[in-house]
Amino acid sequence: MKHFAPTIRTVLTILLALLVGGIIMQLSGKDALNAYGVLLNSAFGNPRAIANTLLTATPLIFTGLATLIAFRAGIFNVGVEGSLYVGAFAAAWVGFTFTGLPALPLIVLCFSAGALVGGLWGLIPGYLKARLRVDEIVTTIMLNYVAILFTDYLVTGPFFVPGMSNAMSAQVAEQAQLPRLVERAQLNASFILALVAVIVVAWLLRRTTLGYEVKTIGSNPLFARWMGMPVARTILLVMFISGLLGGLAGAGQVLGVHYRFVSGFSRGLGFDGIVVALLGRNSPLGALLAALFLGALRNGSSTMEMFTQIPRDLIDIVIALVIFFVAVEISFGWLKRRTKASASTEAEQKGQADGLA
Amino acid sequence: MTFLELRHLRKTYPGVLANDDISLRVEAGEIHGLVGENGAGKSTLMKLLYGMEQPDAGEIRLNGNRVSIANPQDAIRLGIGMVHQHFQLVPSLTVAENIALGAEPHYGLFINRYRLRRQVQALSEQFGLQVDPNALVSDLPVGLQQRVEILKMLYRNARLLILDEPSAVLTPQEVESLFGVLRRLVAGGCTAIFITHKLYEIMALCTRATVLRRGRVVGTVQTADTTPAEIARLMVGHEVEAPVITEAPADGGRRPRLEVRNLQITAASRRATQIDLTVFGGEILGIAGVEGNGQQELVEALIGVADGVSGEVLLDGESIIPMSTRTRRERGLALIPEDRQTEGLSKTMAIWENLSAGDYYRQAQGLGVLPLGQMRATAADLLSRFDIRAADERVDVGTLSGGNAQKVVIARELMRDPAVLVAVQPTRGLDIGAAGFVHEQLLRLRGAGVGVLLISADLDELLALSDRIAVLFNGRIVAQFPRAAATREQIGLAMAGKTVDENIL
Repeated sequence: MKHFAPTIRTVLTILLALLVGGIIMQLSGKDALNAYGVLLNSAFGNPRAIANTLLTATPLIFTGLATLIAFRAGIFNVGVEGSLYVGAFAAAWVGFTFTGLPALPLIVLCFSAGALVGGLWGLIPGYLKARLRVDEIVTTIMLNYVAILFTDYLVTGPFFVPGMSNAMSAQVAEQAQLPRLVERAQLNASFILALVAVIVVAWLLRRTTLGYEVKTIGSNPLFARWMGMPVARTILLVMFISGLLGGLAGAGQVLGVHYRFVSGFSRGLGFDGIVVALLGRNSPLGALLAALFLGALRNGSSTMEMFTQIPRDLIDIVIALVIFFVAVEISFGWLKRRTKASASTEAEQKGQADGLA
Repeated sequence: MTFLELRHLRKTYPGVLANDDISLRVEAGEIHGLVGENGAGKSTLMKLLYGMEQPDAGEIRLNGNRVSIANPQDAIRLGIGMVHQHFQLVPSLTVAENIALGAEPHYGLFINRYRLRRQVQALSEQFGLQVDPNALVSDLPVGLQQRVEILKMLYRNARLLILDEPSAVLTPQEVESLFGVLRRLVAGGCTAIFITHKLYEIMALCTRATVLRRGRVVGTVQTADTTPAEIARLMVGHEVEAPVITEAPADGGRRPRLEVRNLQITAASRRATQIDLTVFGGEILGIAGVEGNGQQELVEALIGVADGVSGEVLLDGESIIPMSTRTRRERGLALIPEDRQTEGLSKTMAIWENLSAGDYYRQAQGLGVLPLGQMRATAADLLSRFDIRAADERVDVGTLSGGNAQKVVIARELMRDPAVLVAVQPTRGLDIGAAGFVHEQLLRLRGAGVGVLLISADLDELLALSDRIAVLFNGRIVAQFPRAAATREQIGLAMAGKTVDENIL
């Protein structure tokens, strides 16, 4: 029971957010119950709806994993968005350059390029933090702008395709476009890759030396250092993996959805990873569920907008409320632990005296 | 005449009875000792008296009247003053400003500095507590800072002074001077409660002492009629044996295991240190000194986490300064750090994870996969070997008592036979039983030919265990004594930076 308590609290938090969101809808003169009904139906009502929910969730799974692995190590990596952009461009570049390759090698090469470039991008703030002790929040936020604007420059400058109205690259080779999983829906093979990523990250964190080092550094970096753990190396590795997952998110969107690099296509998928990691309580499985939940809200709301008078902005409010309540709930739990800790110092001492007798 | 009377006080925290049926009387003009091990309930009792916590049952009487103390402001109004173990002073303000903080004499909207200085001057003359009211607190030595704390209470007309472990940060000479001050204060009409776990202080200062054990009063003794051994027996509940030191083993000894030559740490914001010392196999070298005189810098330089280190450190003849922390540990350097909660353990991780922190990487199989089952089994084994009291090895270290947490550190550091053990305040915050265990382990290592560097602020511990004692002052070793020649007075002088002049002695 104790084990499930955090899950239950998270679910209650979500319900509370939905309730407050419903009240806001009612206050603005909409029928909240109807809205949620349509939303649910649009997200899960038929196979195509479900496929679209999974499609929306796919990049969120990657960016959620990217964020949580850094969080676990105590690194506040806000730069997944940047890795996503450079990774997406790298994948697109391989996709429209090596058009002579057969499907499988080309797809593997595209994803590898996206992962590698995304990972290297993550190494920049990783190096600054590990070796020069520069705060990663500032550097990752700033590097996001660099990544977004640099890729925009690439598709408006060197890789400009004449005749295109928007800033976008050439289309990737047809055999590089990921196979779809469901009829008449965009859901594609990158979703399966995302599931594999969940398993790999969970395994990495639970079973390996890296996972052990990540946990130790995340929970007490001073202790890790005094025990002689390779703290700098671990930070570099974690930032590489975090960027790599961000790159995969970008590559997946390019190869599975857009088939080209479109300037500014992400609109915050990397930042959504923070929400996913928080809502999923930094666990890979939790992040998967959180990404599916967010995917359902996003996908449902866009369909809902078509069939009801309710603007999707109201669903954005609900998402914001979820974040808000999760943040409150986490700080509240932290506060409770603190009060408990101060009481248990006494308890601990008492127990110690008991142990003697 | 009874000044303070506690009747049947009871305080529970969730799941713990911290104070149970505490009754005691403090006579007017008395220095009443309050002794007990960590966790005996001393702090809880003082929190009740100072209004920081409310009792569940029982009453507090001052001068025969029942009082309720809802908060520290009430306590101050009733004339109760408290000197906390960790001083509550503003370092950047002057002595006078600190003393009057929050209760300054006013001159319209402004603080009347002239009157403030005069008041403080008068107060320190009245009680014979000389201190310059215009000095910055940050410039004062610890002993004088404590004086400022006491003046702070007197400024607020405290008649009952509670001192929580006041001697912990003082040199022996400063302790003597504190005793003098307290004796003058009670002669001048104050009453004091003196909390400590050092028995000789009780014997020297207090007329009566109350002993707490496991939240209950187990006795109030007249110090004139009792012995320290008797008080210790009351505190612990059974006879206490002092650690027995045997002479150093003949063969293993005299081989230098740790040599520190001209070790300098020059990083900004650290105390400049320059240290020379040698630890031989089969000996315990004690490092005495008031906290903050370079102990932490020395430890960080030895384990390899400090910046700006120069000089030479040889471990079994091999220079370790260029090595990483991990390599140093592999060569046989073990460490019991001062702050086990931050430097020695990770509270939110399981016992087995903490026990594995030194050698997990050696156990990794292909792809860096850890044999978790085997690691847990090793941990479970250590749990029983070192008598660590916990449900099982998967419990978070943060839930353990101080003694058991320290045993986790010791088990981890000793499981691979070390060449040199650096132990920093290894018994701080531990009860007598757990402290005895730590001492046994140190002596066992000494018997096995390990070089032990024992850094401690507790002179009794050093005198009981060390073969030699070196004194660290202002970042340098200023004196060394063989155990036979070491006296409390000489060490105390050296701790205060006064060179022991051989010619005069």
